[in-house]
Amino acid sequence: MHVRVTVDASEHPSFDPHHHPLWWGVLGAVAIEAAVVATLLTSYFYLALQSPAWPPEGVDPPDLFWPTVVLCLLPASSWTMWWAGKGSDAGRKRQLAIGVTASVAIASLALVARSVQFTALDIRWDDHAYGSMLWTITGFHYTHVVSAILGTVVVSVLAWRGYFTPERQLGVVVDTLYWYFVAAVFLPIYLVLYWVPRVLS
Amino acid sequence: MTDDSPALDLRERTDDESRQRLARIEATWASPKGFLGWFMPVNHTAIGRRFIVTSFVFFLLSGVLALAMRLQLLVPLNGLLTPEQYNQFMTVHGTAMMFLFAIPAMEGLAIYVAPLMLGARDMAFPRLNAFGYYVYLIGGTAFFLSLFFGMAPNAGWFNYVPLSNKEFAPGYGVDIWTTMITFIEVSALTAAVELIVTIFKLRAPGMSLNRMPIFVWAVLVMSFMMLFAMPSVIVASAMLMMDRLVDTQFFVTEGGGSPLLWQHLFWFFGHPEVYIILVPALGIVTTIIVTFTQRPVFGYTALVLAMVGIGMVSFGLWVHHMYTTGLPLMGRSFFMAASSMIAIPSGVQIFCWIATMWGTKIRFATPMLFVFGFFAVFIAGGLTGVMVASVPFDRQVHDSYFVVAHFHYVLVGGAVFPLTAGLYYWFPKLTGRMMSERLGRWSCLLIFLGFNLAFFPMHQLGLEGMPRRVYTYVPEMGWQFLNQLATVGSFVLAAGFGLTLINAVRSVFRGEVAGDNPWNATTLEWATASPPLNSNFPQPPVVDSHTPIWDWQQDDERPVVGGLRDDRRETLVTTLLDARPAMVQVLPGPTPWPFVSAVAASVGFIGLIFSPWFYVFGILAIFVTFVLWFWPRHPYREK
Repeated sequence: MHVRVTVDASEHPSFDPHHHPLWWGVLGAVAIEAAVVATLLTSYFYLALQSPAWPPEGVDPPDLFWPTVVLCLLPASSWTMWWAGKGSDAGRKRQLAIGVTASVAIASLALVARSVQFTALDIRWDDHAYGSMLWTITGFHYTHVVSAILGTVVVSVLAWRGYFTPERQLGVVVDTLYWYFVAAVFLPIYLVLYWVPRVLS
Repeated sequence: MTDDSPALDLRERTDDESRQRLARIEATWASPKGFLGWFMPVNHTAIGRRFIVTSFVFFLLSGVLALAMRLQLLVPLNGLLTPEQYNQFMTVHGTAMMFLFAIPAMEGLAIYVAPLMLGARDMAFPRLNAFGYYVYLIGGTAFFLSLFFGMAPNAGWFNYVPLSNKEFAPGYGVDIWTTMITFIEVSALTAAVELIVTIFKLRAPGMSLNRMPIFVWAVLVMSFMMLFAMPSVIVASAMLMMDRLVDTQFFVTEGGGSPLLWQHLFWFFGHPEVYIILVPALGIVTTIIVTFTQRPVFGYTALVLAMVGIGMVSFGLWVHHMYTTGLPLMGRSFFMAASSMIAIPSGVQIFCWIATMWGTKIRFATPMLFVFGFFAVFIAGGLTGVMVASVPFDRQVHDSYFVVAHFHYVLVGGAVFPLTAGLYYWFPKLTGRMMSERLGRWSCLLIFLGFNLAFFPMHQLGLEGMPRRVYTYVPEMGWQFLNQLATVGSFVLAAGFGLTLINAVRSVFRGEVAGDNPWNATTLEWATASPPLNSNFPQPPVVDSHTPIWDWQQDDERPVVGGLRDDRRETLVTTLLDARPAMVQVLPGPTPWPFVSAVAASVGFIGLIFSPWFYVFGILAIFVTFVLWFWPRHPYREK
């Protein structure tokens, strides 16, 4: 059988961080985690609608101050991530390094706010299903912020060492994608955990 | 180009230059050998083969448990197994058949075959693939070993609360179920993402979505279903884990929780799960029908839409497992209608298959015989499915042996028959040798007869009122004769699978040498050597129809991709819809880090049974091993 070369692979780039399969892979991970969040929030509503009182008698809805601080900090850290990516695309290594480090710093502040909020909760996880939901969803998002921070710390170390170039920056691109998700998914969580009990009661 | 172009199919060339080039490519894509080498390969053929072999080992082990249960039920008031042992065997049998056999076997086949069918050199994330396998191997082994320590779960494969709460199921059994199932689902999810991205991005140039083989479509639908169904069981089992370990109140009525929440979450996964293993089986059946009739499939678009339709509708059926839980009438009616609706796309498929076979000269080799077995058994299961989909009927037979008969007809008919057909069909590709036709035919006959003998009487047993999951019955009930039939049947069935096992082992060493394309099939996995070369395709193919190999035979010419480097693992990335060439992906080579990460994750998960602090440990351990896994190595890639 004759063989005819009809496609020449050497004409195509081997660096293309914005269209790399890994970008799609991280999107898949985001889809899974979004499904987990959706399942958790649905369970929250299911239990809420089954209960005579939600939150149970004698328990106040969680305080609004600290979650609202987190709600402002996470988009701010996303903006610094975006700014870092702009710098990386243009080959400005310093801007990248500063941007990702700033994101880590801001998200760490959010983590502190989250931790304070844990201690201020009016109910324990083993008191009532309401407490179980509250702690689990909060803990789930907390873990995500921690993992996003850990991943981005690695990216910043590499950034300060000058590893990334406008071509070789897949790590930055996919880390940013995941970061946006972790920041954005807080909005539905915020609305459900902190506003729904106020509306329901 | 002319005959003497260096771009000719390298395997058919005898000149030194081409042979050296082939040798260079093969060395680049080789997996390491030796004991340490076992922990390092990342090629999808190596990982897929491991998934398939491991899942069949679990199949055999779970089958042995089933035989033990059948022996226990041979006579009334039998004392062969204690009630506790029976419960453990039953739980492990059901759980392992679903989570350790059916899903991983389908995944494994998909991981092995789909990239070859796409004309790719490997999957998009080879190391993740390896990670998923080790997770499955460790999780599955730990789960099964619990049986030998008498610590196995005993609350049934769907673990209903409150039976599985701390109060009614003390000990570690249910904890092992919740942690290990969550853990193994992680492996299934990695495979799902991996398959989706590979199918989206690594198709051969020219293989637009509407030219993709039906099997690949089936794998794509399966993977998307996994993506959205598995999180539900992960959340459910994580909640149950916490209820048992740190006293959360999700499923505890006194604490404001709801046992029904477990059922909703479990079946929101559990029902799609049935279709997660059925859909790839439909792909296998279509592939085999096309090959053994030597005719392009009839109604390609209808078949694809039917599969996508089954995937979507299957998410709206879960409540039909819960008709007896006191749901509102409106809810039950909705799910009854949805459950009946699934018959429509299933019917479309059957008619497409009939039309494909109509008037052709069918080759009745073993794979095709198993496909006919699938038709008979699966359609019978489908008919009882229509019956139990109806609320009034279901309320009569719920939790009786009728249901046991129904789901074995659907699962064995819908998954095991096609999978065995697939085993006979792709065995020559995996090993380079054919399986024996004679043993294959006998095996198929025994499996078909044994299966029906074992499970058909259960319909009647159910109608006579025998509840499922009982470890024994009293002689006055008059259930003995049918139970004996079932037990005899189960041994005939086991003998049939035994023949296939002997056939497989024998053929690995002594089977007839297969050649590249023994069935004259048309999909691309048959366009490489058997077993496939390390690189799959030294020159990846380019396609412009559904039936590439048959077209090449007609034109006596085959178009290929040139210009990939020999000295590193390169594969071509194409666009999502039209599969136009877009970029070259450089894939990683063999590495032990996925194994190390999987071990770290296993310690974290298994530790959870004993202390919640292993959650923190697990996250840190996985983080550290992932950093070591992904840390860029010198010299950095410049182009």
